[in-house]
Amino acid sequence: MRRKLPSFVLVLLVALATAGIAAAGNGGLAPVTPHSPNAVRITDTYWVVFGFTAFVFVLIESLLVIFIVKYRSRGRSRAVEGAQVHGHTRLELLWTVFPVLILAAIAVVVFWELPSIDHQPSAATNPIHITVEGHQYYWQFDYPNHARSIGTLHVPVGAVVDLKVVSPDVIHSWWIPALGGKIQAIPGRVNHTWFRADAAGTYTGQCAELCGVFHASMLATVKAESAQSYRTFITKTAPATLGAQEWSGVCATCHGNLGQGGYGPAISNNTIITQPAALAGILRNGVNGTTGAMPPVGNTWTNGQILALVRYMQKNIYKPAPVGATSGG
Amino acid sequence: MAVRQEAVYPVGWRDGRVARWLVTVDHKRIGILYIATSLVWFVAGGILALLMRSQLATPNEHLLTKNSYNEVVTMHGTTMIFLVVVPILAGFANFLVPLMIGAKDMAFPRLNALSYWLFLLGGIVLWLSFFAKGGAAHAGWWSYPTLSENLPWTSPGHGQDYWILSLHILTLSSLLGAINFIVTIHHMRAPGMTWMRMPLFVWAIETYAILLLVALPAISAAVTLLLLDRTVGTHFFIPSEGGNVVLYQHMFWFFGHPEVYIMVLPVFGMISEIIPVFSRKPIFGYKAVAFSTLAIAFLSLLVWAHHMFTTGLGDGLNSFFMISSMVIAIPTGIKIFNWLATTWRGNLIFDTPMLFALGFIALFTLGGLSGIFLAAFPVDWQLNDSYYVVAHFHYVLFGGSVFGFFGGLYYWWPKMFGRLLDERLGKWHFWLMFVGFNLTFLPQHMLGLLGMVRRIYTYHHGGLWEAYNLISTVGSGVMALSIAVFLVNVWRTQVVRKGVRAGNDPWLADTLEWYTTSPPPPENFDSVPYVTSARPLRDLRRRLAEEAT
Repeated sequence: MRRKLPSFVLVLLVALATAGIAAAGNGGLAPVTPHSPNAVRITDTYWVVFGFTAFVFVLIESLLVIFIVKYRSRGRSRAVEGAQVHGHTRLELLWTVFPVLILAAIAVVVFWELPSIDHQPSAATNPIHITVEGHQYYWQFDYPNHARSIGTLHVPVGAVVDLKVVSPDVIHSWWIPALGGKIQAIPGRVNHTWFRADAAGTYTGQCAELCGVFHASMLATVKAESAQSYRTFITKTAPATLGAQEWSGVCATCHGNLGQGGYGPAISNNTIITQPAALAGILRNGVNGTTGAMPPVGNTWTNGQILALVRYMQKNIYKPAPVGATSGG
Repeated sequence: MAVRQEAVYPVGWRDGRVARWLVTVDHKRIGILYIATSLVWFVAGGILALLMRSQLATPNEHLLTKNSYNEVVTMHGTTMIFLVVVPILAGFANFLVPLMIGAKDMAFPRLNALSYWLFLLGGIVLWLSFFAKGGAAHAGWWSYPTLSENLPWTSPGHGQDYWILSLHILTLSSLLGAINFIVTIHHMRAPGMTWMRMPLFVWAIETYAILLLVALPAISAAVTLLLLDRTVGTHFFIPSEGGNVVLYQHMFWFFGHPEVYIMVLPVFGMISEIIPVFSRKPIFGYKAVAFSTLAIAFLSLLVWAHHMFTTGLGDGLNSFFMISSMVIAIPTGIKIFNWLATTWRGNLIFDTPMLFALGFIALFTLGGLSGIFLAAFPVDWQLNDSYYVVAHFHYVLFGGSVFGFFGGLYYWWPKMFGRLLDERLGKWHFWLMFVGFNLTFLPQHMLGLLGMVRRIYTYHHGGLWEAYNLISTVGSGVMALSIAVFLVNVWRTQVVRKGVRAGNDPWLADTLEWYTTSPPPPENFDSVPYVTSARPLRDLRRRLAEEAT
C-alpha cells in the first residue's frame, strides 16, 4: 500500500513540472496569445471553461485519492464487507443537477461571447475582402485589386479582414492560432471567417486538415503591416514577385529549391519550362505519370500568373542540359 | 451373456490442439479467440504508434515521412478502433454474457463463430493494404473525400479499396454479433434474473449491441458510396461533378460518434463489475448506472456534428450540437460519481484489476472534461484538428477503454484460463502504463494549444514544441515497456505455468460466471441457482454461511 504513494507523488511532480514549463511562457495552458478580437474572445471563453472544468477535475480526483487512502483495506480480509449502501436518491439528484448548472453556465457564456467571435465589429471603414484558396499544398490569396500572393497574406494592421475560404481540390483547414479559430476550405463550398490584427507582426499557422502527402508543409503566414506597406505590397511587390512566390511556395515543395528534384522529379533541365502553353497544361490539369502524379496546382491560375512563373523559371531555374552529359539518374 | 456397453468417446480430428480452436462454436473459445486476435493487432497498432512518436521526437526527423507517415497514421487509427477496441470488447462480451446470465452458450453459436472469422478476415484485408499498389490507405481513419477519392493526386491505387472492403467485412461481423447478443440477453437469462437483476456489464452489452445496429449502417452506406465513386465513376463526393463532400462527413460521424460509445460503454460495464467486488460493496445506485448507459447511447446519436464545427454549418446547428454534446456529460458524470460513491466506506483491495479500474476513473475524467472544451464550439475552432484533440480522445479511448479492458483481463483471466496473472508483474504493468500514458498524452494538450496540428509528419519549431514532443515520445516508450511486462506476465502464467491456480471464485465476486469452474466446462453450468438479486453469488455465500451456523 505505502509503495503506491511515492509513485503517485512522482506522477504529480511530473505533471507539475510540465505545467511549470508551460506556465513559463503561456506555453500551452491556453491558446497562443491572441492578436485579433475574435481570438481574444475565444481565449476568454476558454478560460471560463477551464475554470469550471478545473474545479470539477480537482473535486473528482481529490475524492478519488481521499477514498483510496481512507477506505483502503489496511490488511482486512477480503471477506470483510464494506458498508452495504445501495444508493442515496438525494445525493444522486445532487450530482445530476450540479453538472446541469455548470454546463448551463458554460453554454450561457458561449452564447454571450459568440456574437463578437462570429461577427466583424462594425467599423467605420469597410472590411477588406480577401479570398483564401487552399490548394495541395499552398495557400493562395486574392486581394481586392486582383493581386495575388502565395503562402504569405499581407494585411494592414487594425483593418477588419473578411476572408472567403475555398478549395478547388481536397479539404483543407485555415488556421492562424493568434488570429482566431479554424475554418475548413471545402471543395464545392464557400466558408467565411475574419480577423483584425491588433499589432504589426508575422503570425504563422498551417493547414489543419490532412490534405495529402505534403500536409505538413502547407504553412501559412499573415504579415500585418502599416497601411502604406500593404498598399505597396498589393500594387507593386505582389505582382512583381508573383513568379518567385509561385516557385518557392508551390513548385519547390516537391521539386526542390533549385528544381534539382525531391519528392517530384528534377525539372531544372526540362525544356517544358521554356514552353508556356505546355507548362500551363501541366499546371492546370496535373500529370498522371508513371512515377507518380502531380496535382493540378495551378487549376485556378490566370494566364498572367502562369507567364510570371515561366519567366521566373527561365531566368532562375532553367539550366539546359550540357551536350553529351550523362544522366544523373 | 450380457456384455457391458462401455461409452465410447472417439477422439477425432476436431479434438486436435489447434483444430479444436478452428472448429469451435463454444462462446468461451470464440471470446478468447477475439481477445487474443485483438491483442495481436494491439501490438501491431502500437508499433505503428511508436514509429510515429519516433518520427516526431525532435524537429525535422527523417525516419517516417510523407506518404509513409500518412499510411501509418491511417492504419494506426483504423487498427486500434476496428481491430482492437471494438473486437476485444466483443470478445469479453462473448466470453462473459452467457456465463453472467447463466446460459450455456450464445443464442446462435455458429453465427457467433462466423462473426469471429469475419473479424479475422477483415483485419487481414486491412493489413494487406500495406502491400497494395500505391501503398496502404493514407487518407486518415475517417477517409474524408475528396482526399480518399480515386484521383491520380489523392488516393489512387488499391489501399483505400482494401480499407473500404475491410470495413464492410468488419461491419458485417459486428452486426451479426450484435443481433446474437441481443437475442441471447433477451431470451436466455437464468430463472429469476429480471432486467433489474442483470449484471451491469450485460446492461452495457445490450446497449452496445443496439448502438451497433443503429450506427453501423451509416458507415456502410458512406463507404459504399465512396467505393462506387472510386470504382464505377459515380460522383457522390466529387464536388466538381455535383457531389457533396459534407454529406460524407455527416454520414461518417453519424456512425463515428456512437462508435466512441460502442468502444467505451462495455468498459463502463466492466468498471461497474470490478469496483464493487474490490470495494466489497454493492454498486452505488444500480438503476442510475444502468439507465445512464441507455441515456448515453440515445444521446450519442444526436451529437455527431460536434466533429464538424469547423465545416461551417452555421450557428444554429453548431449550437444544437454543442448543447446535445454537453447534455451527454450528465449521464457520464452520474456514472463517475456513482463509482466514486461505491468506493466510499468500502474495504478497498488494490489487486491489479482494481488499480486499472481506479486508473480508468482518474484518466477518463480528464478525457471527459477536455471534451467540454471541444463541445463549446468557438473554443473548438481553436482546438479542432490539433494535438489537443489527439490528447482528448486518447484519454477517452486509451485512458478509458484500454485501461478498462486491461482491468477486465486481469479480473477475468482466472475464469478464462484457471490461473491468476501474477500480481507483482501486474502492478508493474499498471504503474508503468499509468506513468507512460500521462507522459505521452498530457503534453499533447499543450502542443495542440501551441498550434501543432494533427497528422503532420514533421515540424520545424524548437523550444516548447520540441520539449513536449520529446516527453511524449519518451512516454510512449514507457508504455511499450508496460505492454512487454504484460506479455511476460502472460507467458509466465500460462506457458511456464507459474500462475496460481484459481478456484471457482478467487475474488469473492457477485455474478454468476464465478459459480462455475475456472475455466468453465462446455455448456458452462450443471445447474444455475435461482437469481434473487443483482448479486447472486453473494446471496449464495450468505445462504451457505447461514446453513453452516
